[in-house]
Amino acid sequence: MNQFWLVRAGSFVLAFAFAFALDAAFGGGGYAQRLVMLAALWVTLAVSLNLINGITGQFSMGHAGFYAVGAYTAAILTTLNPALAEQNKLAWLLLMIPTGALVGAIAGFVVGVPSLRLRGDYLAIVTLGFGEIVRIVAQNINIKTPKGDVGGAYGFTLDVKLTAVWVAWMLAIAVIAICRNLLRTAHGLAFLAVREDEVAALAMGVNVTRTKVTAFVIGSAMAGAAGAILALFEGRASPDMFTMDQSFIVVTMVVLGGTGSITGSVLAALLLFYLPEKTRELSNMPISSVAGLFIGIGVAVSLARMIQQRYHGPVAQRIGLNFGAIGAGVVTMAVIGFVLQQVPAIAAQPLVAGAKLRMVVFAIVLIVLMLLRPQGVLGHHEFSWDWVRRTLFRKPAEVPA
Amino acid sequence: MSLLALDEATIKFGGLTAVNAVSFRIQPGELFGLIGPNGAGKTTCFNLITGVYRPTSGCIKFGDRDIQGSPPNLIASLGIARTFQNIRLFKSLSVLENVVVGGYLRHKSSFWSAVNFFPSAIRDTERLRSEAMDLLRVLNLAHVADARSADLSYGMQRRLEIARAMATQPKLLLLDEPAAGMNPQEKEELNGMVQRIRDEFGLTVLLIEHDMRFVMSLCERIVVLDAGREIAQGPPAEIRSNPKVIAAYLGEAV
Repeated sequence: MNQFWLVRAGSFVLAFAFAFALDAAFGGGGYAQRLVMLAALWVTLAVSLNLINGITGQFSMGHAGFYAVGAYTAAILTTLNPALAEQNKLAWLLLMIPTGALVGAIAGFVVGVPSLRLRGDYLAIVTLGFGEIVRIVAQNINIKTPKGDVGGAYGFTLDVKLTAVWVAWMLAIAVIAICRNLLRTAHGLAFLAVREDEVAALAMGVNVTRTKVTAFVIGSAMAGAAGAILALFEGRASPDMFTMDQSFIVVTMVVLGGTGSITGSVLAALLLFYLPEKTRELSNMPISSVAGLFIGIGVAVSLARMIQQRYHGPVAQRIGLNFGAIGAGVVTMAVIGFVLQQVPAIAAQPLVAGAKLRMVVFAIVLIVLMLLRPQGVLGHHEFSWDWVRRTLFRKPAEVPA
Repeated sequence: MSLLALDEATIKFGGLTAVNAVSFRIQPGELFGLIGPNGAGKTTCFNLITGVYRPTSGCIKFGDRDIQGSPPNLIASLGIARTFQNIRLFKSLSVLENVVVGGYLRHKSSFWSAVNFFPSAIRDTERLRSEAMDLLRVLNLAHVADARSADLSYGMQRRLEIARAMATQPKLLLLDEPAAGMNPQEKEELNGMVQRIRDEFGLTVLLIEHDMRFVMSLCERIVVLDAGREIAQGPPAEIRSNPKVIAAYLGEAV
């Protein structure tokens, strides 16, 4: 065995070990399992959209459409062949994943070939339209089959249901690996070249149309595969699982992570998925505290931005100043909260429900991140310790002569 | 046989005839200049040759193959490479990566092996990277190989454009104002560099340039365009004293 196959076998073992460890830790069912399942699917969606939006630079907003295509494919096939699916659920799931991917890829090809001639905003509108068409078609078409109804506004339930945390995470890992491999070869550089400058890429002999369509088809196939897992996990398929919101959230994940950065997409997907879930337990707060919180965050962010723009001293000092900004925010929050609480009319208001604050917190995190790091958490970079070191301890810009 | 032959190449944009029945032939190994006042149609000529535009009429032959109207990536694969007047580098990629993209046409590994990161794909990419590094040495850019291309100085960006075009291993290299924005010393270096490239790599070079001293000292033959029409053709000495050329640049004597 040569070195390559040893490394390859090692990474497979590691990937399986990781996936099975997650399965063992969270696979017991209930809320924890649901979260870790959905996290894998969101990571898959974000990384696959990053291939289209971030790496190839084609602004697609219809990713939920391809997710839906994969899910409906798996759901319909399962409804039509319940006995076969029941026989060996895992084998059925493993069969449905490539099937969902294939149908997703076909949908990607059909949508991609005509619409990838468009650029920027126009492509965004067309793909957004596609996502809505898929959802509306699923909502309005209800086919009666001998095995049960398929489609419809309320969706349909499957007789077979299977949750396999390790399968979902293996898909996520595979999707990450494919994108990472691609970026390390000359083929991947051609994708990046298309993002950077189509005219120059053409002049270098890159077949721009084929590259775009390839990215679109692969990205859609990945979303389709994720959809197949979702359908069997939820045990149903319904139009409300694939709304425009879903497409927007995936786009937000890609942009927030830093367009083109695979690790950025993974981090942002986990952050944006877990944040609204973890904030479900927010306690009820008096309205004065909420006001104090908002103003405090405003103060901290404006100070942090000022430091970012005006101060270019050593790292330790910058970190210190940022902590100062956070401190100022906390003090402002406490003072304003306290002062407002003294006003009888405000103190008499009912508490604000924590559940209602949840999405507000989500929005605030997005706004703060975009204000302080508009290029995304990782910018165009990939996460590596070397990158952290260089970013933190950057010497004053050296331009070689 | 000539390497590139334009025969009555014409392109009209609505009522404007940007290039009007232009004909010239470039022999293999020649350093050929394309000059003319602003708006004469020089860059449009490049765009016709490289397939960005399809000529309204006329014929463009590369070797013995008709290339008018072929897509730009096909023309690049036949062996015509170009640089751009308004620099079009892949800005957020590194200097080395820019040149590797130039070598993309010569990759041998399949997409499948790239996605699987098979040894063949790794070796192939390594080969392109080392070839790119060699080119960077020729163009004196090796010391900035890892810098972001957008961070380079203007003169370096122009040289990087040449390196990237050379990475396609063309037979014909089109340079669109390679010396624009360079100081006299940089122009001097570029002059030597273009000649060396031609001699060492056996290239044919067609260049657009406004700096007369640069063109006259570098090119062996020159064609002059004015308002889309070809007004003169010949060696530099002839062009310099051609009354039509002087009139085009300086206006008619009253």
